[in-house]
Amino acid sequence: MTSALEIRNLKKSFGSLEVLRDVSLNAQQGEVICIIGTSGSGKSTFLRCINLLETPDSGEVLVKGELIKMKRNKNGKLNPIDQNQVDRIRSKLSMVFQDFNLWSHMTILQNVIEAPIYVQKVEKKEAIQNGLSLLEKVGIVEKASQYPSSLSGGQQQRAAIARALAMKPDVLLFDEPTSSLDPELVSEVLKVMKSLAEEGRTMIIVTHEMGFAKEVSSKTIFLDEGRIEEEGKPNDIFNRPKSRRLKQFLAANL
Amino acid sequence: MNYELMIETFPKLLMGSYITIQLVTISLFIGLFLAVGLALLRLSSNSFLIFFAKTYIFYFRGTPLLVQIFLIYYGIGQFESVRESVFWVFFKEAYWCGILALTLNTCAYSSEIIRGGIQSVPLGQIESAKSTGMSRFLLYRRIILPIAFRQALPAYGNEMILMVKATSLVSTITIMDITGIARLVIAKTFSPVEIFIVAGLIYLTINFAVTRLVSFCEYKLTPHLRYNE
Repeated sequence: MTSALEIRNLKKSFGSLEVLRDVSLNAQQGEVICIIGTSGSGKSTFLRCINLLETPDSGEVLVKGELIKMKRNKNGKLNPIDQNQVDRIRSKLSMVFQDFNLWSHMTILQNVIEAPIYVQKVEKKEAIQNGLSLLEKVGIVEKASQYPSSLSGGQQQRAAIARALAMKPDVLLFDEPTSSLDPELVSEVLKVMKSLAEEGRTMIIVTHEMGFAKEVSSKTIFLDEGRIEEEGKPNDIFNRPKSRRLKQFLAANL
Repeated sequence: MNYELMIETFPKLLMGSYITIQLVTISLFIGLFLAVGLALLRLSSNSFLIFFAKTYIFYFRGTPLLVQIFLIYYGIGQFESVRESVFWVFFKEAYWCGILALTLNTCAYSSEIIRGGIQSVPLGQIESAKSTGMSRFLLYRRIILPIAFRQALPAYGNEMILMVKATSLVSTITIMDITGIARLVIAKTFSPVEIFIVAGLIYLTINFAVTRLVSFCEYKLTPHLRYNE
């Protein structure tokens, strides 16, 4: 069976700083993969390379078996060959950001229906119906006609999750979705994410919430200095860490 | 103070305001479209296009509008090739020369206002749009330009008001706008104070309307930025 998402030998440097040194990942349909690690370990960069918000220096990204075609230009940088392919694949990989990044000039509902209508050419009526039911699902349907700036952080992030779901994505990418939230707002977002995991959605989650990672993930990856230091079942990672770095990390974060 | 003369002159100047409003609307409308294009050139990654945009902006902001009007109206007619071409129909009319000068001038200023707007769009909102698979064109049409215009609106309102006043310069090339008619009346009556007070009041009224229009647009377009609600 083809993987929902496969990453092969990803490398990325910013100037002389090597952020990712050969990272690979394979996510089967329905898997929930949590990526943990210290800040600066390359977690977010890795996630951003998956949908090409950052272009990797080398490596391959396959979504449902389809390779994103890239070639090297004159100065040795990797570039996508076909931007249309990138756009099409991105629409199947919805991303939820640390800072929500809702479009400030649109209401919550407009945010949710924007991409379905304009990117996926869904009928407006259908998009609104689907959008409202998603807002219902994340528990903020009463905020549909308000603007992002009038919502709390937790509500904004739930709106952003609804926006991501509206694309009916194959894979959901979460980039530290609770790191910008006040502590008392974290749980409402994690609750929504947990229900998504239980629905059998394929999710890649970069997170600092160890309890959440332990409970929800089917596989946990510990990234350290741009390498996968350790990966496996969350039970093994959290209860029987093998590497010294992971032991140190868990001691500091649990 | 000759009040009778002021009342008498008022309808005449009001006729001139018709020309003034025409000049402003046409040049702002075309100028805005060109300005968006120019701002995009300025923000492109092609160094030739950037150089072109910068030079254009430098020239039109760096020289007086009056000089630009003179150069277009008196200058272009110097070339025989222009006088013999189809464009002469256009360039021989002071009216169109005036509109051309105003358009090119406002384009330079507005493009910088719009560039500021575009650059103020938060990177995160652009990234979240990209991550949904929007094409570059769609990204600009649906996200970047709408946010940029909202950001630029107060500064652009300024530019609109400046343009209303700038049109008075075209009276120097025989266009009978408010100022043009005012000068004509003054030449006959020798009463500059009365006439210019009336002219000034008409400009003030037009700009009052412009100000209200801009506030209305701001209110309608940026409900998320309203202070108290």
